[in-house]
Amino acid sequence: MVKEIERAGIPVVHLCTVVPISLTVGANRIVPTVAIPHPLGNPGTTPEEERELRRKLLDQALDALSTPIEDQRVFE
Amino acid sequence: MKLEVGYIPIRDIRFGPESKVDNNVLYVNKRELSALILADEGIASVALDLARPGESVRITPVKDVIEPRVKVSGTGGIFPGWCAKVRTVGEGRTHVLKGAAVVTTGKVVGFQEGIIDMSGEGAQYTPFSKLNSLVLVIQPKEGTESHAYEKSLRLAGLKTAEYLGKLAEHLEPEEVHTYETLSVTEGIKKYPELPRVGYVLMLQSQGLLHDTYVYGVDAKQTLPTLIGPTELMDGAIVSGNCVSACDKNTTYHHLNNPVVEDLFSEHGKALNFTGLIITNENVYLADKERSSDRTAELCAYLGLDGVIISQEGFGNPDADLIMNCRKIEAKGIRTVIITDEYAGQDGASQSLADADAAADAVVTGGNANMVIHLPAMDRVIGSIDRVDHIAGGWSGSLKEDGTITAELQVITGATNELGFNTLSAR
Repeated sequence: MVKEIERAGIPVVHLCTVVPISLTVGANRIVPTVAIPHPLGNPGTTPEEERELRRKLLDQALDALSTPIEDQRVFE
Repeated sequence: MKLEVGYIPIRDIRFGPESKVDNNVLYVNKRELSALILADEGIASVALDLARPGESVRITPVKDVIEPRVKVSGTGGIFPGWCAKVRTVGEGRTHVLKGAAVVTTGKVVGFQEGIIDMSGEGAQYTPFSKLNSLVLVIQPKEGTESHAYEKSLRLAGLKTAEYLGKLAEHLEPEEVHTYETLSVTEGIKKYPELPRVGYVLMLQSQGLLHDTYVYGVDAKQTLPTLIGPTELMDGAIVSGNCVSACDKNTTYHHLNNPVVEDLFSEHGKALNFTGLIITNENVYLADKERSSDRTAELCAYLGLDGVIISQEGFGNPDADLIMNCRKIEAKGIRTVIITDEYAGQDGASQSLADADAAADAVVTGGNANMVIHLPAMDRVIGSIDRVDHIAGGWSGSLKEDGTITAELQVITGATNELGFNTLSAR
């Protein structure tokens, strides 16, 4: 999906946990997330902390989206 | 470490007034065994049933398959950490009721249990159709959560296998196999010319009921480690997995790991079976990196020339598999990986979620997406109503006449990644 949307000319950020697979598949902008069963949350934390975590990941993704790149890049 | 494994062949299974093995027939006292299982307070009821090779019987939803075994001599007992205290096993003598199995069934996760057909097309896809099986249909007490149900079911299966295994303690085996593991230095001295080959056994450990236990410890909380291959034969590794039926390693697989079996049979001839490393398949990327790093370090430390890596499950464990392969190859050690494929129903899609040029020697257990047609059976043990929901099934998989059209995934053990089954490709 990442590749097809980019093929249509729209840049994509792939939020994902298993970065190596994303790199193999060919995503260009990658933001690593928490864990496979809960990529954008963490049941071990409070709802407030989770909200903050999500906000941070979203900000990171938006930054990645607006960053010009030449090659595949993982935004840590 | 040396283990003698004695096989007592079982050619039939029946209920009887006394649990015993007589003339290669396994008799089970229903009442005695039921009482043993019901001692677990989480279990509301247990129904015991029998399934024999060739019968028109469908067992579903299958959770685990376990082989009855007993330790006759040597330290520890079968299934250490569960049925026996935690002591190192793998030495002395062990007896096996070969041809018999305990099958546990229950709707734990619902979509991640499997099917065993004892006859028809489905029987050809599962090695468990060839076993005289005692099936436990276990219902939990009302309000029991899935993880507690899984544990009850797991323990009931292990306890039953131990109970049956004990019947073999004083029997004379028809065949005895001896397996011996030398220390690293002894192996080098004895076989200086032979290539040193290791085995990396990947254990499913994703959590949320996708778990494997080593001496009672949840594998996701462990770092990769060396373990004696004969320790597996005494039940050091136990499945707690509710995951795709076709490529999960049941406890039966761990007890009878064919990679271990073949490496032992070639040991001292074509190769020097130097060590067995167990590692996990966790859901955090940091865990995947740490475990594959450790695994590669252990391989290098043992001075291996070649490594066989077997996977369990599919999807994100493909990343663990490729990381192990890539990092071990980077140490100058050649690898062969054993996996299976999810290549779509037409077989035309990419087989694995991850790939690397280092993975240039691959053995496949078959395409789990292949569509199969299963005939109706006269009798169902367990309950048939989950078939549409099992991974590999879809709404309408189960027809009104009892036939099933689904992907191969639904069959327990069909595309096993230890090479336990017969499917492959060239």
